Amino acid sequence: MKTRDVFGYSFSAIRLRKLRAGLTTLGVVIGIAAIVALLSITQGLQNTITGELQKGLATDTLIVTVGGGALGGAQGDGGGFGGGFGGGGDSDFKLLINDTQTIMDLSPGNITATLAIIQRSGNISSTETNRTTTIVGVDFAEYKRIYSSTFVAESGEIPDTPENDTVVIGKRVTDPRLNGTTLFSAGDTVTIVWANSSVRPPKIENYTARVAAVLEEVGGFGFGGPSDTSIYIPTIQAQGFFDTDQCDTIVVKLVNSDESTINYVTEKIEKSEEFAGEVSVISSTAVVELLQSIISLVSLFLVGIAAISLLVAGIGIMNIMIVSLIERTREIGILKALGMKSRTVLLIFLSESVIIGVIGGAIGIGLGWVLANVVAVLFSGGGPFGGVGGGQGAGAGAAMNITPVLTPVVILGAFGFGIGVSVIFALYPAWRASKLKPVEALRYE
Amino acid sequence: MHSSLLEIPEQINTETQTKWKAIHMALVVEAVDLKKTYMLGKIPVEALRGVNLKVESGDFLAILGPSGSGKSTMLNLIGALDKPTAGKMLIEGVDISTLNDNQLADLRLRIGFVFQFFNLIPRLTAKDNIELSMSIANVSRAERRKRAEELLETVGLKERMDHKPAELSGGQQQRVAIARALANNPRFLLMDEPTGNIDSKTANEVIALIKRLNEKKGVTIVMVTHDQHLAREAKRIVQMFDGVISSDVVN
Repeated sequence: MKTRDVFGYSFSAIRLRKLRAGLTTLGVVIGIAAIVALLSITQGLQNTITGELQKGLATDTLIVTVGGGALGGAQGDGGGFGGGFGGGGDSDFKLLINDTQTIMDLSPGNITATLAIIQRSGNISSTETNRTTTIVGVDFAEYKRIYSSTFVAESGEIPDTPENDTVVIGKRVTDPRLNGTTLFSAGDTVTIVWANSSVRPPKIENYTARVAAVLEEVGGFGFGGPSDTSIYIPTIQAQGFFDTDQCDTIVVKLVNSDESTINYVTEKIEKSEEFAGEVSVISSTAVVELLQSIISLVSLFLVGIAAISLLVAGIGIMNIMIVSLIERTREIGILKALGMKSRTVLLIFLSESVIIGVIGGAIGIGLGWVLANVVAVLFSGGGPFGGVGGGQGAGAGAAMNITPVLTPVVILGAFGFGIGVSVIFALYPAWRASKLKPVEALRYE
Repeated sequence: MHSSLLEIPEQINTETQTKWKAIHMALVVEAVDLKKTYMLGKIPVEALRGVNLKVESGDFLAILGPSGSGKSTMLNLIGALDKPTAGKMLIEGVDISTLNDNQLADLRLRIGFVFQFFNLIPRLTAKDNIELSMSIANVSRAERRKRAEELLETVGLKERMDHKPAELSGGQQQRVAIARALANNPRFLLMDEPTGNIDSKTANEVIALIKRLNEKKGVTIVMVTHDQHLAREAKRIVQMFDGVISSDVVN
């Protein structure tokens, strides 16, 4: 029997039991839709996070922090994100501001610049307002060079050789909700406050500064690089104001972003005598990769759950096929008496499941895509992720704009999986149908 | 197309082959000491206890017998739906015991079944039912359509070709079933109580059709029935009783 005739015959059988076939197909639709929705959302989420990260990252930089642990807490203000990672460590090791030179000397050929970052929680206030923020002490000229795309003034100007009382502020310090508010603007005189709790009793330090520039919006996660919720003061001023010769982070700019360079310098620093395993080095690429692998894992887990629903649909198909097989025993007997081969009977039953799989898969992919977009709109509307930021300072994390991504691989994969499950679960009933003995099948009432 | 049906033992030389063909091709069905034993639970039931029968091309044979005489078993064996326990069932000279499932299916393509309960596929129209049996035999779509219409004309139901079985009377359904049985140019029609489930008036139409097919078109017919009246229409009547043939007379 020709394939086309086999499908035609199967289709006539399906059409006869529309409701039953429809419900069976619905199972496949739900399974496929769940898989497609989850995959396209997580893929979109991954793109968003990676994109946001890369905005605030330079791939040719390394971040050196104290602590032998995995991910040190680079700059703790990354929209509340960076603050979560390890950091600290129990040892007495201190990273000093002039360790920048030590690092530079470890591999001068591969490092073009090193930069110390000192940071504390504090406040910035004017006569009208007072905001919690992160005060970051950096060398303006170097910082500008390393983060040339993000340490950029939206208004005012970032001086290369700043006065001690110069301050550059992040976008969300002046406009926390990004709705056009201007709490501080370039040229304003502000008071910068810091509570020194390392002395007893804690002492409130403050000085008057002049806003030189407001930064352009950086994006959700500034990691290592500039952040929307921080303010920046010159290193010399920070050293005096915080009364310290230590720094929290040293940013190392490499000659290029090759993996070999990154690995070489990372190892050089981590294994050096000077730092004796007391520091950890993170590359931006590693951070992005780590996040991506976490998202992938989560996505795999979610899709696994969705796949279970498809499995349930498969069992539904098997169930309905067995019922159908029993109902159609006599019909199978007739077909065999008419000269149909067992193989063709098998194909007729399998093609019914293929039809269910194809229809269910197609509708499922469409429905999944719609679902993904609906969920994405809900997320972007400042929903759940809006609150994640929190952290310290003014940082209310950015609401993320997730654009669901549906790749051809996902479409084909989901389609194939849907048909595959349908066919696999139809194998047993189809095989049983094909094995029916014509004499007995014909006698069946 | 179905070379297996024409196969001749290789050891026979060409001259004898010709003779062999002449004898055996004319013999459509040949049963040699045919035996069939069923297991009814744990009790063996001897349905056939040594049947010898020959059906020649062009024959119109009625196998008559009360229920339990073994005529249904005989029907299943002639139709290659079942295999004998002992003895031989030769269809066009081929012993069905030697055939595998696929070969049996191919053989059945050449046998035109007509059942007591018509056994049309309810969801298909009269025409589609006839086309179905041709699609099993891989006949092209265009030819199927043409032939189905011709066959429906032969059985006098052309104007009813788009009706489903439920919309046809018993006699009409049986005529569609006969058209279906003829679709693949079978070597013989095998009928199981062809009028057993239709009223006597329309039964006459069916009987007339069967007779016409045999007389005008030379279709070989083997009919199993317990209806004396119907059997009388055949050219030859074989009486079965208790698993053996008790009489075999030309009508």
